[in-house]
Amino acid sequence: MAVRANPNLLKQLKRYGADDVTKCFHCGTCSATCPLSQEPFLFPRKSMRYLQMGLGDRLKGNLEPWLCYYCGDCSDQCPREAQPGETMMSMRRWLTAKYDFTGLSMLFYESRTAEVAAIIVVGILSGIGFYLLGALSGGDFGSYPGFIPGHNAEYLTELGWDVKSVVLVMAVFVLGLLGINVLRMWWFTTGSRKDLNVPFDIYMKHILLCPWHFFTQKRYSECDKKKPWVVHIILMLGFVALFAVFLAHMIWQDDTHAHTYLGPLAGVMLVGASSFALSGRLNKTEAHYKYSHHSDMNFLYMCLFVGLTGLAQHIAGRIGCGAFANFMYILHMMGAVPMLLIQLPFTKWAHLVYRPHAMYFAAIQADVIAGREGAKGASAVPHKQSA
Amino acid sequence: MTTECKIGVYVCSCGTNIGKMVDCDAVTGYTKNLPGVAVCKSYKYMCSNPGQEMIVKDIQRYGLDRVVVAACSPRMHEPTFRAAISHGGLNPYYLEMANIREQCSWVHDDHQQATDKAKALTCAAVKRVPFHEPFDMQSVPMNSASLVIGGGVAGLTAALELADANQPVYLVEKDGKLGGNLARIDLTSPYLDSAKDLLAERICRVTKNPKITVMLNSEVESISGYVGNFKAQIKSNGEAVTDIEIGSIIVCTGFREFDASKVGEYGYGRFPNVVTSFDLEKMLKEGRVVMKDGKTPKYVTIINCVGSRSGKYNRYCSRVCCMTALKYANGIKSAAPDAFITNLYTDMNAFGKGCEDFYRRSAERDTIFMMFDKHAPPTVSAAGKGEHFNMLVKVNEILSGEEVEIPADMVVLMVGMEAREDSMNVARLVNISRDKDGWFIESHPKLDPVATSTDGVFIAGACASPKDIPDTVAQARATTARILAKICQGEIWVEPVYAEINEDLCSGCRVCNELCPYSAIDYDPVKKRSAIISVMCKSCGGCVAGCPSGAIKARHFTDKQIFEQIEGVLEWASSRA
Repeated sequence: MAVRANPNLLKQLKRYGADDVTKCFHCGTCSATCPLSQEPFLFPRKSMRYLQMGLGDRLKGNLEPWLCYYCGDCSDQCPREAQPGETMMSMRRWLTAKYDFTGLSMLFYESRTAEVAAIIVVGILSGIGFYLLGALSGGDFGSYPGFIPGHNAEYLTELGWDVKSVVLVMAVFVLGLLGINVLRMWWFTTGSRKDLNVPFDIYMKHILLCPWHFFTQKRYSECDKKKPWVVHIILMLGFVALFAVFLAHMIWQDDTHAHTYLGPLAGVMLVGASSFALSGRLNKTEAHYKYSHHSDMNFLYMCLFVGLTGLAQHIAGRIGCGAFANFMYILHMMGAVPMLLIQLPFTKWAHLVYRPHAMYFAAIQADVIAGREGAKGASAVPHKQSA
Repeated sequence: MTTECKIGVYVCSCGTNIGKMVDCDAVTGYTKNLPGVAVCKSYKYMCSNPGQEMIVKDIQRYGLDRVVVAACSPRMHEPTFRAAISHGGLNPYYLEMANIREQCSWVHDDHQQATDKAKALTCAAVKRVPFHEPFDMQSVPMNSASLVIGGGVAGLTAALELADANQPVYLVEKDGKLGGNLARIDLTSPYLDSAKDLLAERICRVTKNPKITVMLNSEVESISGYVGNFKAQIKSNGEAVTDIEIGSIIVCTGFREFDASKVGEYGYGRFPNVVTSFDLEKMLKEGRVVMKDGKTPKYVTIINCVGSRSGKYNRYCSRVCCMTALKYANGIKSAAPDAFITNLYTDMNAFGKGCEDFYRRSAERDTIFMMFDKHAPPTVSAAGKGEHFNMLVKVNEILSGEEVEIPADMVVLMVGMEAREDSMNVARLVNISRDKDGWFIESHPKLDPVATSTDGVFIAGACASPKDIPDTVAQARATTARILAKICQGEIWVEPVYAEINEDLCSGCRVCNELCPYSAIDYDPVKKRSAIISVMCKSCGGCVAGCPSGAIKARHFTDKQIFEQIEGVLEWASSRA
C-alpha cells in the first residue's frame, strides 16, 4: 500500500526540535551504535527516514522514539551531525502531542508563550485559591494551618473534605486525560495494526512491565552511559516520595512521620537532580543536554522551583517562622498545581505514562513477531539479551 | 650467421611472479647449452638497475652481439632493455624478449609444464635473435600549428593554452557561436559559480588572440597526413573550403543529452511540467522557475539517472548529474523559497572536490532524498481530481522499504550524457576508435588519457566520456602539454618498425589499402602501386598477411624471424623427445 509523503511534516517537526534530521544520509551508524537498538526495533535510522520523507502515519504508529533514552551516543557518532538522539527526542514530543486528543499538548509544544502563559495562569489561580483557603481557615494569614504539624489541626479537619474533593476532581481530570491518551497511543501503535492481531493472553503476560519500567527505568540503565539514568531515577524517586507524603497526608492525615523525614528527602532529591540537569542544559555539558526545547527547560525550572519552595517552607516551619512557611507553601502550590495540570497531562511530564506503556506495547509486539517467526528461531524481545 | 652470434640470455624470476611457477635455474641450465649462447644468467629482478648493469657489463666482457631477456611482456619492459643494450653499445633492435610471465607463469599452475614452456619460449627467442636487423630511429619535421575541433570549454582552453605559448591554432566550431554545452548552463556545481563568467573570459580572449583563427559554422571535411604533418580541409557556412596544414589535432566535440522521451514512465512530452535538466537550466538562466501555466511550483521532484546506469539505455554513469541535481535543488530553493524539493536517486555520487560538502549543504536546505532501485524506476502519473498539485510520483523507496507517493507540480529529469550522433564521422575523419557507447578511446585509460591510437590526434573533455568541467579543462590543458612537448623537440621520432612494400612485387590490387586500420597505406595512381607511410604504420602486420602477392615485409617481424622462432619451439620439443 502506497503511503503519501507529506513535505510539511519536516517543517512541523522543526517546532518540536528536529532541526537537523535532513542532514541524515542513512549510513546506519546510529542504529549500529545504540546498545538498546535490537530486533525488531532497530532505531533511530528508520524513524529518521519516516520523518525525512514525511510519512506522518508511519511515525504516529511508531513506538521506537519511546524505546530510546537519549544517551547521545548516536549523535556523537553521526558523521553528518544529524543529531539522531535529539531527533528521537523531538519525535517523542510530537508523539505526545499526537496522543493528546485535546490539542492542548500541540499548542503547548509548538508555542513557548502558550505553555508559559498556561503555567502562570494556573499558578496564579491556585495561589489565589490557597490564599483564600488560608484566609478562611481563621481570617488570619499567619494562622493558616498549612502542613505544619500541630497547627490549628481542628480547622483542617473541618475543611479537610473540601480540599480533598478539589484534589479528587483534579486527579480524575488528569488521570482521565492520560487514560484516554494512553488508549489512543495503544490504538495508533498496536490496536489498529491488523498485521499484529494481539491475543489477550499476551497482553496479560507482559502487564507487569508497566510498573516495572515505571519504577526502575531498567531500560535506561542499559545505556552505555549510566549517569543520566542515576540523575533521572533520583528525580523520579523524589517525585514518588513527594507523592507518598501527599498520600499520607490526604488519606491517613499523617503529617508527622512522612512529612518529617520523607518530605525533606524528596525536596533534596528534586533540587539536586533538577539543578544538575539544568546546569547541564545551560552549559551543554553532554550530548543529551546540547539541545533544549522550551518544554524541557520549563519542566526543570518548575521542578527546581517546587523543590526549593517546599524545602524553604519546611525549614521555616521547623524553625518557627510560621508566616514565612505559609508564604512559601502558597508559592510551592503555585508551582505544583501547574505541573500537575499542565506539564503532567500535556507536555514533558507526560512521558511518565507513555514510556512504561511503550515498553509494554513493544514487548507485546516483539512477542507476537517472535511467535510468528518462531520457526526461524528469531529472538525478538526488546530487552537486551544476555549474550 | 647463426653460429657466429654471441648471445647473452637473461632469465628473470620477477621476485616470485615468475620464480614461484617456473624453475628459472632449470631454464638457465637448458638455455646455456644452446648454440650461440655465450652467457646465460638468472636474476631476481632483471629490470632493476643491478640487473641492467649486469647485461651492460656482460656485453662488454663477453663481446655479446645479441641479447635475449626472458621476463615479462615486451609491452612492459622492452623499452627498458632496449635502452640497456643500447647503453652497452648494441643496436637496441638486437634485443628479443621471451614472455615467460604473462604468457607463462601467471597463467599456468603446473610447475613442470610451466618450466618446459619457459624453456621453449626462451629457445625460440634464442633462435630468432640472430636474424634481427639493426635499425635507427627516424624523424619527421613537426608543424607547430594545431587544429582544435569543437569550441566548448575544452576547445577554448586548449586553443588559449597553445596560443599563449605563441603557437598558431585553428579553432573549428560547428555552431554559430562559441561555448558549447557550457553556454547552455546557468550556475555550476558545487561552488555555484556562473557558467557565463567562466566562458565569457575564455571566449573574449580567444576571439582577440591573433594566434587563434576561429572558424564558426564550420566543419572539418577531410584530414590527411600524419603526426606533425596533417593537412585538413575546413568547410565554412556550407561552401567555402579552407586548406590548412597542422601538426596536431585536438578533438573536443563534447556530448549530447539523452532523449528523455525514450523513458515512457516519466511522461516527458506527455505532461507539460515534466522537464529535462536543460529545460530547467533555461528557466534558471531567466531567473524564473515556473510551470507551463506561469505559476510557481510548490512541489518539485528531481529524478536522477535518466538514461544512465540502466540496463535498458546507457549502462554507464554520466558523472555530473548528481551534483547538477543538487545544484537545481539549491537553485529552485532560491527561485521559489517555499518549494518542497524531493530528489530521487539511485546512488549519490559526490566524489569530486567540494561535492560531499555540497551534498551536505543541500540536505541542510531540506532537500528530501529518496533512493530507488535502478531496476525499478519511479513512475509519474497525473494527480487525482481535487488534489492541490498536478502530478504524483510513485517510488519504491529503498531506505525505508515503503512505496511512497510524492506530490509534484514539476518533475525534473536529470538526463545523462551520450556520445554525439556524429561521433562516428569524427572518429573516421581523424582515424581514432570509439567504444561500444560511442565515446572516443584513449591510448591508455590511466597513463595516457588524452592521446589516441593515432599519433598527433588528442581527445579532451566529454567526447571521451562523461566529464565535469574541471576534468574537461584539465584534459584540454593536458593535450596542449603533449603537443607543446613535441613542438619543442622540433621533430618527431618514430619507431623504425614498420611494413614496407616491395614495388616490384606489388600488383596494385589495393587489398592492403582497405585492410590498414591506421590509414597508413597510400595508393599511387600513376605508378599503380601502394606505398606505406612509415610514420603512420603501427606494424600490426595486417597488410603483410593480407597481401596476395607477398609483396609486403614487416620490419622486425620478417618471415625468417618468425619461422626461426617456430623452429626454436620445435627444437626444444625434439630435444625433449
